[in-house]
Amino acid sequence: MEIKMPLINACNVRKVYGDGQGESTTALDDFNLVVMEKEFVSIIGPSGCGKSTFLLLVAGLEPVTSGDLLLDGQSVNGPDPGHAIVFQEYLLFPWRTVWKNIEFGPEVRGVSKKRRAEIVSRYIKLVGLEGVEGRYPHELSGGMKQRVAIARALANEPKVILMDEPFGSLDALTRENMQVELLRIWQENRCTVIFVTHSIEEAVFLSDRLVVMDAHPGRVKKIFPIPFARPRKREIISSAGFVALAAGVKGLILEEEGYQQNKSIQGKEGE
Amino acid sequence: MKRGNVISPVALFGIWELVGKLELVDPLFLPAPTAILAEAWSLARSGELFVHIGVSLYRVGMGYGMGALVGVSLGILMGWSKRLEEYLDPLIEMIRPISPLALLPLMILWFGMGDGSKVIIIFKASLFPVLLNTIAGVKGVDVKLIQAAQTLGANPGQVFRKVVLPASLPTIVTGLRISTALAMLAIVGVEMLAAESGLGYLLVEAEHVFDTPKMFVGLLVLGGLGYLWDRLARVAQNRILVWHKETTLEGKV
Repeated sequence: MEIKMPLINACNVRKVYGDGQGESTTALDDFNLVVMEKEFVSIIGPSGCGKSTFLLLVAGLEPVTSGDLLLDGQSVNGPDPGHAIVFQEYLLFPWRTVWKNIEFGPEVRGVSKKRRAEIVSRYIKLVGLEGVEGRYPHELSGGMKQRVAIARALANEPKVILMDEPFGSLDALTRENMQVELLRIWQENRCTVIFVTHSIEEAVFLSDRLVVMDAHPGRVKKIFPIPFARPRKREIISSAGFVALAAGVKGLILEEEGYQQNKSIQGKEGE
Repeated sequence: MKRGNVISPVALFGIWELVGKLELVDPLFLPAPTAILAEAWSLARSGELFVHIGVSLYRVGMGYGMGALVGVSLGILMGWSKRLEEYLDPLIEMIRPISPLALLPLMILWFGMGDGSKVIIIFKASLFPVLLNTIAGVKGVDVKLIQAAQTLGANPGQVFRKVVLPASLPTIVTGLRISTALAMLAIVGVEMLAAESGLGYLLVEAEHVFDTPKMFVGLLVLGGLGYLWDRLARVAQNRILVWHKETTLEGKV
């Protein structure tokens, strides 16, 4: 087994949203997390616990208020093609075809046209979009749009890919299908993934480690290592070990939470 | 063309012709369509009609072209820079409500009776819909779409060219289309008030000599030009906005 190096190192990270004049919300406080190279880490927690905020910080779309956030030993300083993000709303460019959407990253980075064509066709194949290259986003189903978004992020060959509830708006069957697909893609294309989700089952199924967060302020509550061997099959979700682990995670999230938050977690999980 | 598009004009002209032929109404007030066509033919053969059309189109083209150019470029700047918008907005809201025709006396004083004053007025009429739509279009671009582009490595210039511009294009095109109609309205008004040529002048000249068929020819040409112009604009719009067409109501009809 190869030796893994830490890729992301969050140390005492604090993020406060506010106008600087009294009105402020602490999204993250004393947040510590180390993510290893090529690791698949999921983050789960009640709404408003700052899990999406953490992704925005790593993506460089929001600055940290205090503390250290290192990517590959360097402070995150603004958006960078090395850390790609995939959003729940896909955010494809509607005026670009599937092909041109995936090409966007290499294109703005000045990759030659010939090389671009190789990259795009490789990722189109990887995410299974052959035959729809010329279509526009509005002609695609939700699952296909998310495949395009994933391929578009991968086309920059990022060190880390940040996924903010990427399957949150898909129907249950497509969602299961996309989880299996994501694992296959990740297996073939090992990069680091930080995956934010509301679904315990999804998180346990996908991850090497599962980070459970506390809200108000957002910080890491507990980290579960997920021991199941890879490549994983969908069937493992009904195995005794999986069920017990998921129940443990659920119990942890539910304890110490107010009634309101219990309700919201259970509601979300039913998706 | 769909059959439904033909029925209403054909029926109208049929009844109209009947009324004219039976002289149910004095031809001075309502000449028969055939009489109007005869007039149009003679105006066309003498070349007079085309001179007027050409002059009007030239003025509209110049004024509209300038309005579109200034409207789009200024609109992009104002949509992009909050500060510039704050500076210019009061000025724009003061000039905008002034009727283009109200500017005519002053423009004639400044630019004389020639094409200059007319072009300026068409410019004024076309500028604001383009300007306001462009501002709204640029400001309405989804911030998350911009963030997506930034995380993919786009620099500010690329974000602008490859995201902000295409994302605001549908709204800009809408402004450009609204302005074509306003420019056509303004040119007729201006030419009726102060011109020696153009389609507006043709109408006034016909009125002076009670040449009713000629008035109708003027109106028909204006209607026809407007119609053609709109068709052309639609084709252009659908070409440019292929991706947008089918996500909107227009594409579903």
